[in-house]
Amino acid sequence: MDKNSIRNAYKLYLLENGKEPVSVYMLCKKLDMPESSFYEFYSSLEAVEQDIWLSVFEETVSQLRADETYHQYNAQEKLLSFYFLWVSKLRDDRSYFLLQKDIFHIPLVYRKKLHTFKTAFYEFAAALIKEGYVSSEIKERKYVSDQYVHGFWVQALFVLKYWLEDTSVNFELTDAAIEKAVHLSFQLIGTNTLDSILDFGKFLFMKR
Amino acid sequence: MKEQNNIPTGKVERAGKFVTTGLKVGTNYIKHYTRKLMDPSVTKEELHQDNAADIYNTLSNLKGSALKVAQMLSMDKGMLPKAYTEKFAMSQYSAPPLSGPLVVNTFVKTLGKSPTQLFDRFDLHASNAASIGQVHKAVKNGKELAVKIQYPGVANSVKSDLRIVKPFAIRIVGMKEADMDKYFEEIETKLLEETDYKLELERSMALSAACAHIPGLLFPGYYPEYSSERIITMDWLNGMHLKEFLQTNPSQEIRNKIGQALWDFYQFQVHALKQVHADPHPGNFLMQANGTVAIFDFGCVKVIPEDFYTNYFLLVDKEVLKDTDRRHQIYTNLEMIHPTDSPKEVAFFSELFQHMIDLMTLPFTLETFDFGNETYFNEIYAYMDELYNMKEVRESKVARGSSHSLYINRTYFGLYSILSDLKANIITSQHRIQRLVAGEQPE
Repeated sequence: MDKNSIRNAYKLYLLENGKEPVSVYMLCKKLDMPESSFYEFYSSLEAVEQDIWLSVFEETVSQLRADETYHQYNAQEKLLSFYFLWVSKLRDDRSYFLLQKDIFHIPLVYRKKLHTFKTAFYEFAAALIKEGYVSSEIKERKYVSDQYVHGFWVQALFVLKYWLEDTSVNFELTDAAIEKAVHLSFQLIGTNTLDSILDFGKFLFMKR
Repeated sequence: MKEQNNIPTGKVERAGKFVTTGLKVGTNYIKHYTRKLMDPSVTKEELHQDNAADIYNTLSNLKGSALKVAQMLSMDKGMLPKAYTEKFAMSQYSAPPLSGPLVVNTFVKTLGKSPTQLFDRFDLHASNAASIGQVHKAVKNGKELAVKIQYPGVANSVKSDLRIVKPFAIRIVGMKEADMDKYFEEIETKLLEETDYKLELERSMALSAACAHIPGLLFPGYYPEYSSERIITMDWLNGMHLKEFLQTNPSQEIRNKIGQALWDFYQFQVHALKQVHADPHPGNFLMQANGTVAIFDFGCVKVIPEDFYTNYFLLVDKEVLKDTDRRHQIYTNLEMIHPTDSPKEVAFFSELFQHMIDLMTLPFTLETFDFGNETYFNEIYAYMDELYNMKEVRESKVARGSSHSLYINRTYFGLYSILSDLKANIITSQHRIQRLVAGEQPE
């Protein structure tokens, strides 16, 4: 028994029953293992859910790092290739993720499922941003540039939502959406556009 | 070249692009007239150049079918001022490429492997742009390959593009919208066919094989195992595009050889295969110093229906045209004259068409023809101008001509325009065409 088979069993349960198992006991029954061994791997069902999101992310990143061309990319291309690969990994379990649409509901309590994934993504994005400073793709701005990671997280959620709702063949439109979204974000944080917006905002604020 | 990372696909976004161009062109006019006030020697040429640059920038941002429209426009030289044609001719070979990760993603999605896994070497930077995709160079087993990759979502944007272009086109041509529908339908089908790379691969292989025996032509080999609905892999071809080629000052003999090969290629397709490579813009041919010409890109193939073929080529037959009734019958079959026309209109338009046809089919009626003969082309352009300025023609809002003739005319026009640039003097006799059709080597 390992973490992977527990995650798979959880996904399967959800797909077959249309809802989460009510207890660890129910899940263990399906796995045919004593409840006590479950806790050797996870503390709760929520931890399993979180780990499903995190594992897709980690698989994506490690596959990217193993690829030679990935290292030759600049920050923007790295982010692009991350999204492309991530979406294609999610596709293997599309039915499962379609049942997770509640993460976009308000209040945001459902988004707790994404907690560990979010932390890991922030780390990944922060590293990319640093790379962007070095290659001068991204402009460093006092106070503001610390917020870029949040922006990328919102972008990741946008990509996810777009893909979940995409009805085009082979999810072609998601590819186009990714290209556009990433390009726009790098334009914003790279050139002087954002500075002008901030300057304008400051000006309006002072007038009050 | 700057990489292009987005294609505007939303209809609003695309329409927005056109609006900004409109504004820019407007400002160019204002600039022109202010400059002219201060310095009366300023010519319109400069204004046309500014306008062409702005329009070109917009169209290359739009990619896809809008670029196709640019290509179509640039084919009909004479119809547009010179500056426009120069800029638009650029759009025939270069538009900014898409990002590397998207290229890799396309491979993984449609072929299951990344380009580095499939090939020994793969250049992630596009070597040039096709109108709905871009071409990369790859190496496999020591062989150089050209890999053509299509942008995602192209088929989706074709329809919305045409809907935007349509009102412009109707304004320019001045026809009734309902009459234009059959032409737009034809263009839409053709453009959608071009986004189907599976079909293109099939046609490329079939037509290349069928035309391989014609002397002076070179076709690349195709690799279905490295091709998918978004990718076509073929041999890398060396050679120069028409404009570069002419800059090397090729001898008359070499230019004749290339011209003859192209002429034979088109006649054989039209008369023997009854389907034709309907995209003869200079970007689809690579010319070599020894006088062979490489042909690729069978994305746009027009299949010629039998009854259209019969009527269309009866127009070349001088004997048939002497009989007025028969002639009118053919015009009616080709939808150039409508049953609703008044006898006066019939007389007027058939005379116009007769003159036009006599001009256009002149090469077919002679043994040899010198396409370097500028007076011939100037006569055609002058006649077109005359037609355009005729009150009766401008005021007639009825569309004339079958929808099939759209691509056939475009094909011949493109061929003539290339032959004229080459200044080729070639054998155009019916005898040679008949020998070609019979599958014999032309002497």
